[in-house]
Amino acid sequence: MTGLIVLTIAVVIAAIFIVYRRRTDGHVSDVATGATLNTEVELGQRATLVQFSSQMCAPCRPTREMLSGVAAERPGVTHVDLDVAENIDLVQNLDIRRTPTVLVVDGQGRVRHRITGVPKLDELNEALDDLCAVRA
Amino acid sequence: MPKQIDPRGPRFGAIITSVVLALVLLLGPTRGLPLLALQALVFAAGAVLGLQYQPYGIIYRRWVQSRLGPPAATEDSRPPRFAQAVGLAFAVVGLLAGIFGLSVVFYVAVGMAFLAAFLNAAFDFCLGCEMYVRLARLRAAR
Repeated sequence: MTGLIVLTIAVVIAAIFIVYRRRTDGHVSDVATGATLNTEVELGQRATLVQFSSQMCAPCRPTREMLSGVAAERPGVTHVDLDVAENIDLVQNLDIRRTPTVLVVDGQGRVRHRITGVPKLDELNEALDDLCAVRA
Repeated sequence: MPKQIDPRGPRFGAIITSVVLALVLLLGPTRGLPLLALQALVFAAGAVLGLQYQPYGIIYRRWVQSRLGPPAATEDSRPPRFAQAVGLAFAVVGLLAGIFGLSVVFYVAVGMAFLAAFLNAAFDFCLGCEMYVRLARLRAAR
């Protein structure tokens, strides 16, 4: 009987967690803190898509492909892929907790948006449209 | 380039693992121990010897993979291997708890192992991938 209860609790926890994740993953959230990216990374003129990846991260590859495609279509927007292990100080300063995490940084190096999980392309394009102020 | 594998293999393994661990939970801290010991050996094969020796992976490659087409993409073999090590740790704790009559510890350990396997089987969620960043930060903070 105890086993059945534990099993049921585990399944419920899993379901709740997944529902929560599916709701938050990929969405572009606004960052109001005014934090800047302190790094030698070369910034795009209008925006930089800063991706944090780790070696053990299956969704990082499709994210990388999506972001490099977006950067290729938009003049002034660049894509940078940083390894968490090689940039641990950035990871701590910017409170990166999982991969992939993408920070949308404006032309002045300010972090404007944050996306965890594989980004939702339409939301990303919307955010970039605002930053670039011109439809690419 | 780290070793790449068909990602459906570990997912298939996670399905079998979930069923086995669910049975262990239902059987309880005494009657479930032999099955838990077998699952611990399965985890150990994958974690210590490598994924190619993981019994569920062997079943997958032998009987299932041939019926499916090639995978759409391959994945790094290290997160699934790490997941086997995590599973092994939980299984060993569960075994020791069962042997020493610590029922609560048994249910918590086996319950968590089941949770991780179930998340992977049902939702393709990779717990090890998620833990990686947090572990890296903890190590750097010391």
